[in-house]
Amino acid sequence: MTSSAERARAQPRAAAPGTLVYRHGVAERTTHWLWALALLVLFMSGLQIFNAAPYLDASDKSDPQRRVLAIRASTIDGQPVGVVTVFGHALRTTHLLGYTDDGMGFESARAFPGWLTLPGPQDLADGRRWHLLFAWVLVIAYGVYLIAAARRGTLREFVLRPSDLPKLWPMQLYYLRLRSEPPPHGTYNPMQKAAYTIVLFWFLPLLIVTGLALSPGVDASVPWLTVLLGGRQFARLWHFVLMVLLLGYFGTHLTLVVCTGCWNNMRSMITGWYRLKDHDGVGP
Amino acid sequence: MKRGLFVASSLASLGLSGCGPLKDALTNGPFHSVLSGTEGLNRVVIDTRGMARLYPDSAVDRNFRVNGLDTPSDDLYTRLARSGFRDYRLIVDGLVDRPQKLSLPELRAAGSLAQTTRHDCVEGWSAIGKWNGPRLGTVLAMAQPKAAARYCVFRCFDRDASGQPYYESLDLHQAAHPQTLLALDLNDAALDPDHGAPVRLRIPTQLGYKSAKWVSRIELVATLDGLYGGGGGYWEDQNYDWYAGI
Repeated sequence: MTSSAERARAQPRAAAPGTLVYRHGVAERTTHWLWALALLVLFMSGLQIFNAAPYLDASDKSDPQRRVLAIRASTIDGQPVGVVTVFGHALRTTHLLGYTDDGMGFESARAFPGWLTLPGPQDLADGRRWHLLFAWVLVIAYGVYLIAAARRGTLREFVLRPSDLPKLWPMQLYYLRLRSEPPPHGTYNPMQKAAYTIVLFWFLPLLIVTGLALSPGVDASVPWLTVLLGGRQFARLWHFVLMVLLLGYFGTHLTLVVCTGCWNNMRSMITGWYRLKDHDGVGP
Repeated sequence: MKRGLFVASSLASLGLSGCGPLKDALTNGPFHSVLSGTEGLNRVVIDTRGMARLYPDSAVDRNFRVNGLDTPSDDLYTRLARSGFRDYRLIVDGLVDRPQKLSLPELRAAGSLAQTTRHDCVEGWSAIGKWNGPRLGTVLAMAQPKAAARYCVFRCFDRDASGQPYYESLDLHQAAHPQTLLALDLNDAALDPDHGAPVRLRIPTQLGYKSAKWVSRIELVATLDGLYGGGGGYWEDQNYDWYAGI
């Protein structure tokens, strides 16, 4: 373990493909799965909470004049329909959003469907309890991960540096198969570094902070936080937007995990051991 | 690669649609006590010492949103409302040395604090109102709580469809917060029946369901055990957190 940490601190260098390297320490692996679970629970229970007031306003108090998103049920020709209104543009979303699965085998006026929320049936009280419990799990797992990754040197390997910026576009071209070789890089390629840096140091902290700003007790203790975010309803909007961004990251992450050697990637996050492939380097 | 994606997405959608019973079992089973376990932690971390933000009067919602249980329509409340609550008395009793029966003029004489604050509903929406009335702490002090008193319980005129009465409770620390009011006015006019006339609690450092409307009696008690569902409030008995600062 020490030797791999030392290697991680060295400059990037090419390594022989096929070599098994120890990539993730036990604390990093445990917290990765713990916060993956936490984010799943927070996502599903967050949609449950959203359903209690299925609209988002870019304002402090609720203000229909500044409504950015609304998901509701309506009636057309005597038939119930689901309607999503984004920036004033209405979309028909019957059966999926607005008028959808109620979590009990029927359909009803409900923003997000029961199969996607936690609990399934409309239940704000328990949705909040899931959300507030796993918010703590996320915060603790995130904190432990950062400390563990900093101590092992993993953090150094994937934090995006100014020197990585010119390599981002060539890497994108390689992903699009418009370039035969990726730019030379260390353990993580420049786009991985950009993604991990943004998610770990922007999305996750902002998700936590915007969530805290929704609490009237926190708002009373740290009033400038809510003001900075544009007000309480605005904080709710940011919280939702960050969730959507993180969902986008999750989709990309999952696709790439599957497409770039599913078993090898999974093993590295379960046992820690990763088999180097062509173009894989070692180091920052 | 494509097969892997197909398998992964099929598993994900199967998992999501098939886990309804699992979600129910986790929510209502032995895990339920774990779910409510963060309340104490949140309370210790956040507490209620902070001061809710004050707004200019121009920020108020003239048509402050009405929600909660239906406005009481029983004979007693209707009779009180018809006479402009002339015969209304707020009872303060329980573990106190001097039980009180306070008329509206007596409550107004107990002090008047005007505060324009935001009301945050547990559902997610917010509205701003200007509230006016004596501090709860002042009114409780008039009754001189005994040393054993730990909570004040608010008994209200409203009942739900099944006849269950609304009630709420605060500990004496929360009750003593300088922004915790017994509101008599909303937006410079006496509270109307839909907004909780004649007296409603207003605690801007916690979610809206703590701010009980139509308060008829404040009882000081040593424990919330044995009171209705034991949760310390109407919504608390339906699984909402007693500490509603988050």
